[in-house]
Amino acid sequence: MIGIDRRIIFLLIAAAVLLPLLRPFGLPIKVSPEVRGVYEYIEALPERSVFLLSFDFDPSSKPELEPQAVALLRHAFRKNLRVIGMTHWLTGTGLADDVFSRVAAETGKERGKDYVFLGWSPGAGSLIIAMGQDLYKAFPSDYTKTPTQGMPVLEGVRSLRDVNYMVSLAAGSSGIEMWYVFGKDKYRFEMAGGSTGVIAPGLYPFLRSGQINGLIGGLQGAAEYETLIKRKGTATAGMDAQSATHFVIIILVLLCNMFYFVLRGEKGKAR
Amino acid sequence: MIFLKRQLPLAITFVMGVTFAFQYYIPHPVSEEAITNVSKWMQIISGFALALGLASIFHVHAVKIKRQVPGWGYSIVLYAAMLATIVVGFKSGGETKVDGAQTAFGWLYDYSMVPLQGTMFSILAFFIASAAYRAFRARSPEASVLLVSAVLVMMGRVPLGQFLLPWTWDVTQWLLNVVNSAVRRAILIGVSMGQVALSMKIILGIERAYLGGGKDQ
Amino acid sequence: MIIAPTLLLLLFLGAPALAAIPAPEGFRALDTLSDAGKSLSLVWNASPADRADRIVQVWMADRPDGPFKKLAEFPSNTRYVKPGDFPWWAQPARKGDHYVKLAASPTFPIEDGKPYFVKLLVREGDQEVWSEVAEATSAPNVFNTAQLNNLVFVLAFTGVLLASIAAARRNPHVPLRRIAGLDAVEEAIGRSTEMGRPILYLTGSGGMDEVSTIAATVILGEVAKKVARYDTSLKVPHRDPIVMAVCQEIVKESYVAAGRPDAYKEDSNFFITSDQFSYTAAVDGIMLREKPAANFFMGSYFAESLLLTETGASTGAIQIAGTDSDHQLPFFVTTCDYTLIGEELYAASAYLSREPVLVGTLRGQDFGKAFIMSVLVLGTALATIGVVVDSSIFNYVLDLFKDFK
Repeated sequence: MIGIDRRIIFLLIAAAVLLPLLRPFGLPIKVSPEVRGVYEYIEALPERSVFLLSFDFDPSSKPELEPQAVALLRHAFRKNLRVIGMTHWLTGTGLADDVFSRVAAETGKERGKDYVFLGWSPGAGSLIIAMGQDLYKAFPSDYTKTPTQGMPVLEGVRSLRDVNYMVSLAAGSSGIEMWYVFGKDKYRFEMAGGSTGVIAPGLYPFLRSGQINGLIGGLQGAAEYETLIKRKGTATAGMDAQSATHFVIIILVLLCNMFYFVLRGEKGKAR
Repeated sequence: MIFLKRQLPLAITFVMGVTFAFQYYIPHPVSEEAITNVSKWMQIISGFALALGLASIFHVHAVKIKRQVPGWGYSIVLYAAMLATIVVGFKSGGETKVDGAQTAFGWLYDYSMVPLQGTMFSILAFFIASAAYRAFRARSPEASVLLVSAVLVMMGRVPLGQFLLPWTWDVTQWLLNVVNSAVRRAILIGVSMGQVALSMKIILGIERAYLGGGKDQ
Repeated sequence: MIIAPTLLLLLFLGAPALAAIPAPEGFRALDTLSDAGKSLSLVWNASPADRADRIVQVWMADRPDGPFKKLAEFPSNTRYVKPGDFPWWAQPARKGDHYVKLAASPTFPIEDGKPYFVKLLVREGDQEVWSEVAEATSAPNVFNTAQLNNLVFVLAFTGVLLASIAAARRNPHVPLRRIAGLDAVEEAIGRSTEMGRPILYLTGSGGMDEVSTIAATVILGEVAKKVARYDTSLKVPHRDPIVMAVCQEIVKESYVAAGRPDAYKEDSNFFITSDQFSYTAAVDGIMLREKPAANFFMGSYFAESLLLTETGASTGAIQIAGTDSDHQLPFFVTTCDYTLIGEELYAASAYLSREPVLVGTLRGQDFGKAFIMSVLVLGTALATIGVVVDSSIFNYVLDLFKDFK
């Protein structure tokens, strides 16, 4: 049993993921202070404030970060904020534009007037610096090739200094740390982060020191944000599967340790 | 030749390294302009470097096809897929959507790239379970501490755990905000010192292995 | 009879005049320190009479006689210089004074080299008073004096490093803590040779601009030397073409240094793809088909780390990992036989080659870490004492270690 075939473990995990999706049990979701920090900041922003959302992920992280993006956009549009979207990951461009189009359509928001998706431009850190000096030079046109100069949504916005709040949804490098070092540190806007569950623990030092004012970690974080905006989505739906999977792993680990100690005891007796 | 392979790269590394180390302390717009220009040069160089990579791919798989090593058919599949993506990409002008309508390139992105990447990422869930089953054994006091914390955090981070044992949520928050933050900070400080030291060695020409081996002084 | 009521009446009428708003004291305008230009700073003294219903307006013009334009308005009991805003060696105003920064905006562009004229209007109810007009000219600064402490520490650390290297050259016998993962390199290569299976070496996801990738390529050089001596097959699949080009040179030089230039294979370093999971799938395929006896994972990694190491573990290979990506460390630790954590990766080149210069650098790093630990203890103690005795005198020391922008 201690050397169980991995495929049995894989089957158990598959069952733990699939069964709750077919038969959800729906439990209340507790909201952590780090997610609440992001929500409360956006909630306090006046109407038509400038909110920058950077989609720093690609399709592989879509299951965790897209629900965060959708929840943030729904909140931002509900607050009538002017949303600027962009991405540092070329392979995430289509995904990001799709999210914008979908959420904007459901909330009745107009491209160019209420939001703009700038798309991707190379440079990572130097792109942020360029945006901090002159947004229009960094992005002369948006993803749909419309000139950014003169766009109603960008009225009064010359550079990153005019951004009121920024959230980077990051799956790795070209993410939160880079936005802090090249963006917030230089141009003094407030920022928060959203990340995959794996890299979230590594961002707590930034949260504790106030370098970011909030952190949405993984699918759990997205589910917490959906709870706060009172609009359940894919993250909340996924929490049942996540709960079941965690418990299966816990049971397997405990079983493995039980067998380990039994075997060790038997070996000891044999000697 | 030695000058081109050794002295010149070392000189360029020194000048650029010192210049851009000091750039951090210079707020003047000229300094910002300089780093933006250098970053653009890096992008151009990366673009040309991609040609190197493509040449390598073609060469490796051409050899496989020529020698008909086991699995050479997949090399043909690779060539076909690359060619198809390039042709479709050019025909669609690199756009995934035009006037709201999905292009062929967009179709490839939505129905092959996205599901394939998602699938690869999803495999992690299974691998984490099998790795945890193999590795989380209380072999020693340290391993036991690891095991207990892992179980507590796994419970505290999901609604079912928070529902069954509400105190696991508080313990998880404490572990993440206090213990985890402290350890990450320590690793971050050590890594940063190492990065500064290695960067200084490279700028000052002490570390030269990246130039292609040879004895360091 | 008439005098007392008259005096009372005069007092009543004169009361508003007696309570007139004072003009802001010590008001001056200056070029904002340590910035890129197009910005001015305004400073004036705080007053006990500052309160929420007394409003301050900032008016600016590009000529002394106007026309002045209103730029900002705020309550008079706001916009103070707080502790931590500026370091003591580069502060435009004293703590507790009022400070306002005016940056160029579409409403009022500020050009460098051009004088501007600023005045304040203080208003409370029906009363108002104007300050004197102050003149200032904006200019970009060449050095950010707020970061002087940062520069001093960097130069000091560099000096310590160079001194350690010089000391190591004079006395090369510097003891190094044992790093199990690096001791196991020889064992791993020997195992591969015995089993007649290749060695797989990965340099991570980063480019040559990342320190961890440079460290990985340096270790590759050492590994390649040993591989050349044992005549084992080496496979190095790459995600970055530039890294591939560098590694090709490194491996070639290593074979030459080991006296085996004939054994070098051009194909040992090859490019797969830049895409994260496509690369991972390809490397997993190599592991499952060719079953390398030893896998090295050096450099920076992301989500692909567990996919790679778990697949490698399933083939029974000995696995040695080294990364500064702390978020992937748990996966490496659970699936690999040995893991180099954080800066152990950077120390690897010194450890494997035992070159005095490289070993001396490690000592210099240790001095740096000892300094940071001392500062942490001292800083915590001083900050705590400062809070307990309610004194800001320790901020003169604490500011030295803060990061100001």
